[in-house]
Amino acid sequence: MGILLFISVLLIAACGLIYELIAGTLASYLLGDSILQFSTIIGCYLFAMGIGSALSRYIHRGLAYRFVWIELMLGVIGGFSSALLFLAFAYTQGFQLIMYALVVVIGVLVGLEIPILMRIVKERYHFRDVVAHVLTFDYLGALGASLLFPILLVPYLGLVRSAMLFGLINVAVAFWSTFLFAKQLPAAVGLRIACLIVICALGAGMAQAKRITTAAEDNIYADEIIFARDTRYQHIVLTRFKDDIRLFLNSHLQFSSRDEYRYHEALIHPGLSAVPAPRRVLVLGGGDGLAVREILKYPQVESITLVDLDPEMTRLFSTHPMLTGLNQKSFQNSRVHIVNADAFPWVDSNTDSFDFVVIDFPDPTNYSLGKLYTTAFYKAAARHLSAQGLMVVQSTSPMFARDSYWCIVETLKQASLKTYPYHVYVPSFGEWGFVIASSHEYLPPTSLPAGLRFVSVDGLPAMFQFPPDMSPMTMPPNRLNDQVLVRAYDQDWKDISH
Amino acid sequence: MKVSRRRFLQAGSAALVGLSVKGDRPIAGSFVNDSFQLGHQLRDRTSFPAVQRTEKQAVVIVGGGIAGLSAAWRLNKRGFHDFVLLEMNEQPGGNSRWGQNEITAYPWAAHYVPVPGPKATYVRELFEELGLLKNGEWEERYLCFAPQERLYLYGRWQDGIEPAIGLSGEDREQFRRLEDFILQFRATGGFTIPMERGRSSNQSDLDQISFEEWLRRQKMDSRVLNWYMDYCCRDDYGAVATDTSAWAGIYYFASREPEERGPLTWPEGNGWIVKRLLERVGSFVRGGQMVHRIERRKTDLSVFSGGTEHRAQFVIFAAPTFLAPYLIDGMQPLQDFEYSPWLTANLTLGRVPANYGTDATWDNVVMNSPTLGYVDAMHQTLQSHVERTVWTFYWALAEGSPANNRKMLLEKDWGYWKEAILHDLERVHPDIRQCVTRIDMMRFGHAMARPKPGAIFSEVRRRLAKLDGRLLFANSDLSGFSIFEEAQYRGVRAAEKVLEIVAR
Repeated sequence: MGILLFISVLLIAACGLIYELIAGTLASYLLGDSILQFSTIIGCYLFAMGIGSALSRYIHRGLAYRFVWIELMLGVIGGFSSALLFLAFAYTQGFQLIMYALVVVIGVLVGLEIPILMRIVKERYHFRDVVAHVLTFDYLGALGASLLFPILLVPYLGLVRSAMLFGLINVAVAFWSTFLFAKQLPAAVGLRIACLIVICALGAGMAQAKRITTAAEDNIYADEIIFARDTRYQHIVLTRFKDDIRLFLNSHLQFSSRDEYRYHEALIHPGLSAVPAPRRVLVLGGGDGLAVREILKYPQVESITLVDLDPEMTRLFSTHPMLTGLNQKSFQNSRVHIVNADAFPWVDSNTDSFDFVVIDFPDPTNYSLGKLYTTAFYKAAARHLSAQGLMVVQSTSPMFARDSYWCIVETLKQASLKTYPYHVYVPSFGEWGFVIASSHEYLPPTSLPAGLRFVSVDGLPAMFQFPPDMSPMTMPPNRLNDQVLVRAYDQDWKDISH
Repeated sequence: MKVSRRRFLQAGSAALVGLSVKGDRPIAGSFVNDSFQLGHQLRDRTSFPAVQRTEKQAVVIVGGGIAGLSAAWRLNKRGFHDFVLLEMNEQPGGNSRWGQNEITAYPWAAHYVPVPGPKATYVRELFEELGLLKNGEWEERYLCFAPQERLYLYGRWQDGIEPAIGLSGEDREQFRRLEDFILQFRATGGFTIPMERGRSSNQSDLDQISFEEWLRRQKMDSRVLNWYMDYCCRDDYGAVATDTSAWAGIYYFASREPEERGPLTWPEGNGWIVKRLLERVGSFVRGGQMVHRIERRKTDLSVFSGGTEHRAQFVIFAAPTFLAPYLIDGMQPLQDFEYSPWLTANLTLGRVPANYGTDATWDNVVMNSPTLGYVDAMHQTLQSHVERTVWTFYWALAEGSPANNRKMLLEKDWGYWKEAILHDLERVHPDIRQCVTRIDMMRFGHAMARPKPGAIFSEVRRRLAKLDGRLLFANSDLSGFSIFEEAQYRGVRAAEKVLEIVAR
């Protein structure tokens, strides 16, 4: 019995320290300034332990019974602390308040444990031995926990499941205490049932933990989330701060409503206004309907075909009032035809011809998206161009991803197209680049639709000028069998973040 | 989206229920297209039906794999139509057969052709005709998409199959020395595709020892290097390095251009080429026709298949050459011809594994696995989004004697191989059992000619490959190993020879 008792001491000491470390790590991770976070959390926690120790003198009877309950409460509160903090950060304004309250509650409970335990066993051993053994195992447990935490727990279990695992250990201690102290516990059966319920809850929590972290972590955006959905194809998040609505696809910013007009005017008008009589337009990607909104400014355009992979995306931008406000209900226009299909196979099998083709895909962050930036794809897309047709391609940033930008230009050239690269400044993106491509000569337009806020005839020539820090780089083309662009893009962004 | 207590409890209890019912989902599948029973009828000299009718053709092609179809392609292209091709299986294609399900087409064996070099003129001619090569440029969509290959070692994937991580200085040094050797061998011009255009007796001594011994003699004892050499031999020849001629081991590297950005591949593997060939010569092909006897007569030959006797001026024997002694009266058994048994499996994945990623490759190899890994049939899709796929799993039963391995291949049941395959894949995809819905397998008792020491410069092979007389041998095994280019070369050469004599 002696050794089991002291192992209990070791385990509860480890649990107590783990909860403290989790709170400190989480606060540093979510709020930054790890020195401040760890310092204040350790302070609060030790202070709360002191309160717990002080309070222990008011407990007179039923020591074993109360000890088991304290363990149970620690198991529940400590075990779910990490999940609770993640959710608090994502869904409430009072993260710090909740965190310090949790730290204090856990600290008080941990502070109660050891004094009560020492009093329970004081009848069986000499006081001298009790103090020596209890404190030895207490500190040993702390050492074990402090080593386990960075080496095994955080890397392999993560914060949420580590907390739950140690919650389970607390409850396990409670459970076997009902046997250790059976003599002092007349109503042990009830306690054991309570233990089993908490074990089930924590076990289920561990099984669900991944879901909890994704739910919470995906929602760590600067602004308030107004919409979040996992579709078959991607994770869509909309945030709002005052009048600024932002769309994130798989955590990549797609637009900010404050300056998206700059991006979309620049994407459409330099090209489309240069087509003499545009009747049919094709948009690949662009499920937000903002490019279509710009195209609808041309009354001579009779039909717009939009091909976007994700029906959830086009449905959202057809129906959500805040979003249809942004795209001016462009998807409800009778001239617009939405096709939900994978772009490359669609382009490859469809035979229609268009006077203007807009290629507006997410950046080439992986080999799957990279296929949509290859010579093979541009050749297939160019087959859809009518005799007067022009194509425009969103081409990443010539400033931040200069190699990638010029790689896209080279790829279009290798697809036997003449290229006309240009760039604009979009505050939420920075310098952004596009390429107009066609099989014939392109001349910038001499007139534009009325009411544009950014693109102007006078301003056009400057867009086609590249200052030295964005000037052309010699790059090989991006091909299906050798996707240099994906590697270049990855490298470009690595260079910036270092 | 607040997580209410009720929702949380619901989720929790669902997880508990989920845990209690979670077990192995049944995985369907079977062996398909077994053809060894047919072959064994020949071996066991089963009695075959009496002749009921006689047909006359100038040429009979025996065997509808790449060699036979290529011979047909050549004859047809030259305006020669008086021929028939007899194929034992219902589906022609031999090692280039393919399958198709609701997700994709997939290969049953040969699944790529390296970008052909300048000496492979017949392959280039075919590929130009098929639109793969236009104005000196290879059609991008038939070249293997990036990223092509990866190797799983030390608990992670690396790019490419040649081990590149965790190498010691000595390992690097030996890889570098091997590279130098390869460059030298390549420069001799003795290692070409097709091999007959380069093979030189200067290098015949290399054929007398095993590749493993050659490596040992060069003091290349790095375990990583030797694993890789062994893998290459198993991959191309179905044999371990100890059972492979050093000439063949070197040929694997020295015959190919180092800078090629290939290979050429399709979802159905080389079945794509078979389809194109069948579009051209399918009307001459008769499936399910097993030839059981070939008789030399005074002025012509008789080919017996089922109840039909085909009288022909010429027979192009494009089936595996080891079958010939069972069919041809008076032909001695062939000692020098040995073949490797293979198992291939096509795994239908209802969903992709959790660690599949957007950067998954075409060919996926696990270091120190007895198998050759798997190839993803959906890799050549133009789609950006893939939810389901088919993996072709390759297993050359290389270790040990081919005869014993053939026996094991036939004796063990489907369940045994299913477990072995899933066990192998579980090392890299822990959730593979939850992804796979179906595993179909094909057993090849004699999948590939095995270039054991002495095979390449074998007298018997050279004699049979000579293309003299009315019976012309055309299978790739005459080269000593089974690759597309050799099969196509020998098929076309046999057809050319026939055309040459007929024109006289």
